[in-house]
Amino acid sequence: MADTNKVFQSDLHLKIIKFFHENQASLDTPRGVSTWVHKDRAIVKKALEELVEMKVLVAHRSTSTTGYSYTRSAKTISKIEKLLKKRRSV
Amino acid sequence: MEELKNNKEYQRELFDRLKKSISLKKEEECFGVCLNSALWWLIDQPDPKLSYMKRLISGTCPFLKGPDSRKKSGCVKMLWDVVKKCRRARTLIRFECVESLHGFVYPILQGDKLYGYIGTCYTKRDVSGQVVDIFAAFTDVIVREVQKELELSKLYETIRPRAIALSTVHTVHRLIGSTLDMNELLPRVARLSLQIIRANRCSIKLVDYTRKLLLPKVTIDLREKKSRLKKVKIGRWSPGKAVKYGRPIRDKNHMATPLIDEDVIGVITLYDKVDKKPFTSFDQEIMSTLSEQAVIAIKNAQLYKEQEKLTVGVIKSLASIVSTRAKGIYLPRASFLRIANLIGQKMRMSNRELKEIEYAVLLHDAGQLVVPDEVLTKPAKLTGREYSLVKEHPIMCAEILKPMKALKGVVLLILHHHENYDGSGYPKGLKRDQIPLGARIMGAVSAFEAMIVKRPYRTTRSIGAAIEEIKANSGTQFDPKVVQALSEIVNRQDIRSMLAKERYGGHK
Repeated sequence: MADTNKVFQSDLHLKIIKFFHENQASLDTPRGVSTWVHKDRAIVKKALEELVEMKVLVAHRSTSTTGYSYTRSAKTISKIEKLLKKRRSV
Repeated sequence: MEELKNNKEYQRELFDRLKKSISLKKEEECFGVCLNSALWWLIDQPDPKLSYMKRLISGTCPFLKGPDSRKKSGCVKMLWDVVKKCRRARTLIRFECVESLHGFVYPILQGDKLYGYIGTCYTKRDVSGQVVDIFAAFTDVIVREVQKELELSKLYETIRPRAIALSTVHTVHRLIGSTLDMNELLPRVARLSLQIIRANRCSIKLVDYTRKLLLPKVTIDLREKKSRLKKVKIGRWSPGKAVKYGRPIRDKNHMATPLIDEDVIGVITLYDKVDKKPFTSFDQEIMSTLSEQAVIAIKNAQLYKEQEKLTVGVIKSLASIVSTRAKGIYLPRASFLRIANLIGQKMRMSNRELKEIEYAVLLHDAGQLVVPDEVLTKPAKLTGREYSLVKEHPIMCAEILKPMKALKGVVLLILHHHENYDGSGYPKGLKRDQIPLGARIMGAVSAFEAMIVKRPYRTTRSIGAAIEEIKANSGTQFDPKVVQALSEIVNRQDIRSMLAKERYGGHK
């Protein structure tokens, strides 16, 4: 996983990570994620791709759409869990 | 039992919210003035015990903080009786306590259901009935508001995970419905199943009814454990049982979901959840939905494969008709199909475009069916009229294949495979990018083929000489990029071996 400053670079990134962390079995398109985080689809799509690059999300690509899901790496998930807890306590 | 637990939980949450309710605090402030700074208390159960009342009142009433236990117990008992009376009457009850102080108790209701009470004491003796009525009406509004908030929050908690699950299922549907290639489809279904159930291993088996076996098609283990692809008899183990009985088989560490069309066509088995918890009925529900979608996708892919086989069969039949018509002239071999495919790959063409090239290479000279035998097999140079007949073969071929709508893209390649890069070719005199890329590839490959295959009217050339000739015409007859790719591919050892094996050129 990339460094934490990059991962939580914006409120949107944080919202998306929180959504997937709380719903780890979820798999959704940019349109779906934009509904859950109440943001514009184009901005969400860009953030989703950035999180894929940082290995926080996994992209399932097909010709018609791309589905995004949470990482399977236990190490990354526990790191994010700690970071989210830290943010909650601040 | 479950209902009782839910009721208790609801009651607890309702009072938690009431205690935090800003509206209730404001009501206390407003009525505090009218009621002479009264003491307030909330009783969070419909049938409180005496001990509960004792704890509640001792903490609030200043008269009960002293050492007089007789007075204290008298007061608590009196209030307990008022609460009981309120429970029976389900309406506001006014009282006068042992210290001659006034107060009232009001029930917190939702329909017939009683959840607790809101009470006050230490109020003015002469509080008017109207104030008390207003208090009751206000309290009802606040309680209803809090109950609605709570119900909305419960609804959100119930619906949101289902909405997220539904969205996930919809995404899965889109992802698995977008491929018709079985080799791509089954691993994708396995990966998506692992993702949405958060399991570590997934295996997909398809049924072979003639052998009464489940044939393993794909197994993915995210722990990178090596797993053998095992055949399973129908009726044995969980996958076999799921197929035999046509229903999901769920155990602590695995879950087999049958793929049901008219019959059971296969089974998806998931093993070991990441959180080490057992598989749940919710997992089963999700997998049943996913398997329904997977069946449709598998059926579509099988149907597509059948259709493709039929198309290829028709193309091969046509090709063999052409080859019997002009023996030794038209005979595309695997090596040329391979060379055309590799050039297409180098030029980053899609799978569909590569297939079109393959079909076009197989059929590119089908138009020669309408060229007279004596012209096709003539060992000498063709006359002007004869050459015009030969030049018409791409158009004739396009006409023959036109009724086959599935070959629309192929027809275009065949029609233009004799166009030259500089516009000097036929039938339309197209140049550069006007010529479809597939046709430019075919042009170079068929010229290479023509030079190294024995023809009645000329001797064969070596592979090296043929490539040199093609290079010499790069930029005029042929696309330079295609020529570059062709010369690189022909120099590959595997292609050289393939050409030698098929006895083209006679030399390496």
